[in-house]
Amino acid sequence: MNNPNNIGVREKFIASAQNSKILVRKCNDCNTIMLATILYCEKCHGKKFNLIEYPGRGSVNTFTIHTVPPEGFEDVDSYAWVIFTLDDILLRASGFLPDIKKPSDLPIGSRIKVERFDEKHGLVLKKL
Amino acid sequence: MENVCILGAGSTKYGRLNESIIEIALTASVDAIESAGLSPRDIQAGYISNVFGVADKQVHMAPVIMSNLGISHVPGLTIESACGSGSVMFREAFANIRAGFYDCVLALGVEKITHTGTNQSTTLFSYCSDFFYEGGNGASFPGLFASIARAYMTKYKANEEDLAHVAVKNHENGLLNPKAHVRKKITVEDVLNSPVVASPLKLYDCCPFSDGASAVILCNENFAKKSGKPYIQVIGSGRGGSPAAVQGRNDISTIPGTVIAADQAYKMAGISADEVDFAEVHDCFTIAEIIDVEDLGFFQKGKAAREIREGATSRKGKIPINPSGGLKSKGHPIGATGIGQIVEVFEQFSGQAGERTIKNAEIALTHNFGATGASAAVHIFKKVN
Repeated sequence: MNNPNNIGVREKFIASAQNSKILVRKCNDCNTIMLATILYCEKCHGKKFNLIEYPGRGSVNTFTIHTVPPEGFEDVDSYAWVIFTLDDILLRASGFLPDIKKPSDLPIGSRIKVERFDEKHGLVLKKL
Repeated sequence: MENVCILGAGSTKYGRLNESIIEIALTASVDAIESAGLSPRDIQAGYISNVFGVADKQVHMAPVIMSNLGISHVPGLTIESACGSGSVMFREAFANIRAGFYDCVLALGVEKITHTGTNQSTTLFSYCSDFFYEGGNGASFPGLFASIARAYMTKYKANEEDLAHVAVKNHENGLLNPKAHVRKKITVEDVLNSPVVASPLKLYDCCPFSDGASAVILCNENFAKKSGKPYIQVIGSGRGGSPAAVQGRNDISTIPGTVIAADQAYKMAGISADEVDFAEVHDCFTIAEIIDVEDLGFFQKGKAAREIREGATSRKGKIPINPSGGLKSKGHPIGATGIGQIVEVFEQFSGQAGERTIKNAEIALTHNFGATGASAAVHIFKKVN
C-alpha cells in the first residue's frame, strides 16, 4: 500500500515553502531528520516518519552569484544561489536569493529565511 | 574472472565539429577498431555513452552505430550518466568482459552540443543537476561548482589564484595535444582577469562545451595476446555515488562518490595512491581538480592547492595530473570524456603521446564523474611490456 506521506510530496514541500517553512521528515526509528522529498531514512533505511514543517530560517554555508544565468533566470538583474543550514537541526537546503550583486553583500554565515516558492524561480530566499 | 585489456583506442579532435553526431561517433569507432588490428566482425557488443543526442536529433544511439559499422546483429547499449557517462559505460563494458559474457567489445563515447549555443547548452547542462533543488532554483553548472569552490576556499583558506594555477597547468599540457579543443597558453593573470561566470569562478576556471568522440576496444587477455598487438591491462575499477544535490553532502569540500570509487579501484588493483604514476581526473572546473586529487588520495585534504602551486601535478611533478590537458584544455564532450581519458592512458602506454609522454609511467588512473559528482567512476591501468 502506498504511504500517503509519499504522495505528492513535492507539492507538499512547495506548499510549506509558500508559508516560509521547510518540510522535513523525522524518522520514527532513529530520529534522523531529512528533507521531505527523501522517502527512506538515510541512516537506518526505515520508512516510518513524521512530516514536520520546520521554520525556514538559517545561515548561509556557501553561494554563488551568476553572471551567466540559466534559462528562466535571465529576467533577474543579479541573484545568488545559496546553500544554507536550517537553524537547530543542521539540515541543509538551497534556494534563490535575489538582489545580491557582489560577494561582499552576503558574507558566509549571513542570516536568511525562506520567503516563498515561486513557479518560475523555485525556493525564494530573503536576507534577514 | 577474466583479466580485462584495452587493445585499441581512437578519438576525434575535440572542439566545434561540423559533422553529425553519428559521423563523429563512427570516426572514433573505426579508429579504435583499426588501431586494435580488428574488423567490426570481431566486436561482440557495443557500449555507447551519450547525454544530449536529442540535440542532434538522435537518441537510441547504440543500434544506429552498430548498423553503420555493418554489424546490426550485434547488441548495443546506450548509457547516460551526465558528464560521467563515459566512465560509467566503460565500467559496464569492463564488467561484461570480466564476467566472461564477451571476448571483445567496443566502448564508445560521443557528444555534439556546440551547435546549440552557450545559453541552450548551459540550460541543458542544468538538467543534469538535482533540478528541483538546483537548476530549478537558478543554479547553473558553473554556479554549482562555484558554490563548492567558495565552501572549499572558506574551509581551507584557498584563494582564486590557487584555482588559476590548475587552469594554467592544464592549458600548458593541452598545447602538446593535437586533438585538444583549447590550445592556448594562459597565465594566472589571464585567469584572474577573465570575465566572472559565477563567482568565484571565471571563464578560464571553466572547461569548454565540446563536440567529440572517443572509443576503446576492451577484450580479455587471451584475445589480446592472440591479436599480437600491444595492449594495456585494466587492473582496478570502482563506482561510487554522492547525494545528487550538493546540499545533501555532509562536507561540501569533498565528493563522496569519488572517495568510494577510488577505494574500490585501489583495492581491486592491490595498490595505493602513491603507486599511481599519472592520472586523468575530472577537471570540469578548476576547483574540481583540487578536490579530485585530494579525494583520490594523492594529497591530504586542504593541501592540494599548495602542492599544485609548487608543481607537484605538472608533467614532471610528483603525480602528473591531466597530461592530456584535461577537460579544461582538451575539452569536455560530456558523453565522450570518460573514454577520452582512457584513450590518453592507452596513448601514453603505447608510445603515442609524443611530447606529453610521462616518462617511465607504468600505472595510470582515470577519474570521471557525472554532474557534481553524483555518479563517479575510477579505473586503474597497467602498462603491459
